[in-house]
Amino acid sequence: MHADPTRTAAALQRLLDLALAWETPGGVRALSGVADAMRGVPGVASGLRPVSPEPLTDDEVRARLAELSPAAAALLRHVDEHGGEGTTGAARRTVSPRDARSPAEELLSRRLLVPREGSSVVLPGEVGLALRGGRTTVEPVDDVPALATSSRDASLVARSAAGAAFDVVRRVELLLDHWGVAPPSVLRSGGLAVRDLKAVARELHVEEAEAALVVEVALSAGLIAEAAVADGTPSWLPTDEFDVWSGLPTSGRWARLVAGWLASSRVPSLVGSRDAAGKSWNALAPELSSGLAEEARRLALHVLSEVPEGEVLAAGTGTASLVGRVAWLRPRRPTIFGELVDAALTEAAVLGVTGAGGLPPSGRLVAEGDLGAAAAALDPHLPRPVDHVLLQADLTAVAPGPLETEVARRLHLLADVESRGGATVYRFTPGSLRRGFDAGWSALEVRDFLTSVSQTPVPQPLEFLVDDVARTFGSVRVGHAEAFLRADDEAALAALVHDPRARTLGLRLLAPTVAIATSPLDVLLPRLRELGAAPVVEAADGTVRVSRPDLLRARTRRGRRPAGAVAARQVAQVQAVATAIRAGDRAESSRPATLATTTPSGALAALREAIEAGSTVVIGYVDNHGATGERVVDPRRLDGGRLSAYDHRADDVRDFAVHRITGVRPA
Amino acid sequence: MNDGPLIVQSDKTLLLEVDHPSAPDARKAIAPFAELERSPEHIHTYRLTPLGLWNARAAGHDAEQVVDALLTWSRYAVPHALLVDVAETMGRYGRLRLEKHPVHGLVLSSTDRPVLEEVLRAKKIAGMVGARLDDDSVAVHPSERGNLKQALLKLGWPAEDFAGYVDGEAHAIDLAEDEWTLRPYQREAAQSFWDGGSGVVVLPCGAGKTLVGAASMAHAQATTLILVTNTVSARQWKDELVARTSLTADEIGEYSGAVKEIRPVTIATYQVLTTKRKGVYPHLELLDARDWGLIVYDEVHLLPAPIFRMTADLQARRRLGLTATLVREDGREGEVFSLIGPKRYDAPWKDIEAQGYIAPADCVEVRVTLPDGERLAYATSDPDTRYRLASCTHAKIDVVRDLVRQHAGQPTLVIGQYIDQLDEIAAMLDAPVIKGETPVKERQRLFNAFRAGEIGLLVVSKVANFSIDLPSAEVAIQVSGSFGSRQEEAQRLGRLLRPKTEGRSAHFYTIVSRDTVDADFAQNRQRFLAEQGYAYRIIDAGDLTAESS
Repeated sequence: MHADPTRTAAALQRLLDLALAWETPGGVRALSGVADAMRGVPGVASGLRPVSPEPLTDDEVRARLAELSPAAAALLRHVDEHGGEGTTGAARRTVSPRDARSPAEELLSRRLLVPREGSSVVLPGEVGLALRGGRTTVEPVDDVPALATSSRDASLVARSAAGAAFDVVRRVELLLDHWGVAPPSVLRSGGLAVRDLKAVARELHVEEAEAALVVEVALSAGLIAEAAVADGTPSWLPTDEFDVWSGLPTSGRWARLVAGWLASSRVPSLVGSRDAAGKSWNALAPELSSGLAEEARRLALHVLSEVPEGEVLAAGTGTASLVGRVAWLRPRRPTIFGELVDAALTEAAVLGVTGAGGLPPSGRLVAEGDLGAAAAALDPHLPRPVDHVLLQADLTAVAPGPLETEVARRLHLLADVESRGGATVYRFTPGSLRRGFDAGWSALEVRDFLTSVSQTPVPQPLEFLVDDVARTFGSVRVGHAEAFLRADDEAALAALVHDPRARTLGLRLLAPTVAIATSPLDVLLPRLRELGAAPVVEAADGTVRVSRPDLLRARTRRGRRPAGAVAARQVAQVQAVATAIRAGDRAESSRPATLATTTPSGALAALREAIEAGSTVVIGYVDNHGATGERVVDPRRLDGGRLSAYDHRADDVRDFAVHRITGVRPA
Repeated sequence: MNDGPLIVQSDKTLLLEVDHPSAPDARKAIAPFAELERSPEHIHTYRLTPLGLWNARAAGHDAEQVVDALLTWSRYAVPHALLVDVAETMGRYGRLRLEKHPVHGLVLSSTDRPVLEEVLRAKKIAGMVGARLDDDSVAVHPSERGNLKQALLKLGWPAEDFAGYVDGEAHAIDLAEDEWTLRPYQREAAQSFWDGGSGVVVLPCGAGKTLVGAASMAHAQATTLILVTNTVSARQWKDELVARTSLTADEIGEYSGAVKEIRPVTIATYQVLTTKRKGVYPHLELLDARDWGLIVYDEVHLLPAPIFRMTADLQARRRLGLTATLVREDGREGEVFSLIGPKRYDAPWKDIEAQGYIAPADCVEVRVTLPDGERLAYATSDPDTRYRLASCTHAKIDVVRDLVRQHAGQPTLVIGQYIDQLDEIAAMLDAPVIKGETPVKERQRLFNAFRAGEIGLLVVSKVANFSIDLPSAEVAIQVSGSFGSRQEEAQRLGRLLRPKTEGRSAHFYTIVSRDTVDADFAQNRQRFLAEQGYAYRIIDAGDLTAESS
């Protein structure tokens, strides 16, 4: 070991005490199973691997090392310092030490480097050990890598963490409120489209990376899930859990988010970067997770909690030093682990677990895993909810802090949000107030609400605006009716509407001279007549439609055709019959016992000949029903596998599929 | 949690609770870098913009101070991303420097090589710079000084201009402070402009921007070119300069459509400079006619685009911009920043009002209902003509008469957009009208008579919106405006804000037709007033008649 012997002995003793290793006559051995229980790749850190099947003895190694040229020795050292692996390129694998032409070949020939698949070579464990003078690693392993820290006021740490915590809760809420109305669709591969992520970033006033984190944290906390919307598209929707979450106080909501984040295997930091195949990662994509993510987060927080209060990670170098410490603590993790730890620190800052690079009391409790206590510790630093706003003459309302949910919901209905943050700025416009009236508010209620929620008198222009909107609201009314009734005689119309016998007609008086009915015209008219009214029907353009009953008439049957036409048709029929008979006769006369089947090429040749000669041929033809028949035809044209020919029986030009022609012979 | 008066929102707005005991201190701390966006009665809204932060950098504040101010006064935790953004944005200013080089003339240099590489690779910049002198600097042709600054700002790397200014032709100018003295804020404004070299001074209408100009001229002690919006305002500048400085009328020239004099102090109108004949600007030579030591731009927010281009060539001369608002309706604030200079002084209206230098104003919106006949005509009319129909309703004329009667004896202005309407009102009230076609001489006669109190009532079109000093006006009645322009509202209110004798407050009436586009536009304009902290009242025309009788 490259370490102080006393420390090594102490560490060994500790392992023995913990019964993870035991002393055997052959030396100390690890308990079987310990190696399996240790996660990660073996050998990266120990410096003892790979173990050669036939290891050289120490003396052999030393002797061969001594023979090396300076260039080869330098190369070997370089390989050792860079993980014990390398690539050789053009070096030949099987050479004798004498023929070696390059430092790489020199090493390979002496088995100081061992070829692996491809052009890569590895440094055998025993060679490495000898190279390092019998030590397992180049760097001493008993030096705990120091964390780079600087001092920072603890209250500032707490405040900036609380600010971030408040922001992330607000953003998640804002995002999910928005998605509840306009959800983005789920990509076929399962993620969130880049365009949708951009929209989120715009909506939340953050960078895309942070937007991805917000979205992912919402997923981890179980606040969003896939579901099909009305038209069947799978979309990302807030879950019903979100409604429960929304009802919690801010600190409780924060704790839920952090708990979700801490236990999640998601890797939001990869969003936007490209995978090995060059495809960029989408947020919420199912593959975007790593088994190491959770360990990386917990370990990062754990290490950070060792930084005393009043100290924070130094700007710039702090993160790198923490990643170094984690790598020392978990040497068997792959290199990506460092990136995950780095990402975990960034995420913790956005989530308000850390502030200004340090852990506030709430963050320490998170690191210890006590989220309930963490929420309680955060609570005093969060902005107090306020129950009032300041109304101003420029028709804005400013809530100087987070509003109580109920007030916020109402104000949201009556005014548009102009600016968000610690405070919220609302603006009243005719449109926003109309929204309130649409939702059933009256001018009086709006004014009462404004008066009750405002600490200052309601400015006069706002009162005017409310009244103006109230005045024009509903000045045009729209409804549904089947028919209308118009009468200059108000008394007559009123009598009709109030007649108990007309109750089923659904009459309603809109104005003294106008009523509407919910029954259609054909029911209404006879009933009105029964009631003694004499209604006149108006057409759509307002003209009077005379309601004389239509006289019913049938169509006269068409008379017989003139004699000449009938005669002509008969002659034509007779002629057609005669033609068909003659064609049949000709076929009969020219028919041998059977039509010999010709080969397709023979048939084609015969048909072409007939086209050129303009002669008549008999063809055997398989019809649509599979029956073979014969036709007497004059071939005209042959192309595209179809024969166009004059068919004597049909007395017309017909098309025949060549592949169905079984034989051809001259007529 | 800290009990500060400031709330920092993640969208980079800062909300300042006015009634909080430490609000004044917080305001002082954030004013240098945050732009005051609205100042209604309880909560003022500031915004952090790159320009604002760069203005602060130009004034010598650093990111550390800004972050510290935000952290100190903020009630809640400040979003971390915002702090990072502030530091980053502020760090961008001054990475590039324009400097004088003894051999190569003007050079663009940087201590941050990658930034220099980045901007030099930009296509726009490539044509403006010359030979690369060494790794960290590149030669710039002096004529590209302005264009380069403009282009760099667009790239997000505003350059700090250390190349200095030419002194210009010396000319003795002193303030003649007899029986009056420069107000403290005017003195401060002129001083901070002079210390900064070039830049913009933001003061409300009626706060005496002309005197800031005069004080700056006294600092410069050099020939000065003053660019103003129109002829009437040019004459006012001249009168004011003659009265308040050692300059005599002979030393001040007017360069306008009518007169073309070039004297040690020349006052030119934007219009004459931007007149184009056969594709060239014939009066452009004025800019080179003398070796000007100072160029003053009045009403910078109205500076027409061609002047920007001309200004780009004047970067070696000191430039002073005067304005009531940095808000440009065309959104070219960035060009003002890069070509004229950063904001050097700013004082909110209300503060100056509180000091008693401008009159408080009582803003009232009077709502009239269109008579049924007009309502029908309005409802069935073309959308293009609706605004005109609504704002020219006859119902307004009666209200004007009532208001004028109510304020009998107080100097009153009736301001409108449509000439027909103004003529009608003038005929009814038997008052003189000033409109576009009124000759300058006649305009001046009427304005002088109004100022002298010989005329108590004046009907004016939008020609009077800018830079005409009518300090005696106590009542303004606005009958129609140009489609809800916020800037116009500010200017019209500005007519009234000149300090009044006996501490009387000004009255600003806007007559609006209920339930029409007129009301919608009015709302837009009044939002501006409310944001400036002028709570306005709304009354019904019917109530007004009752009130007056």
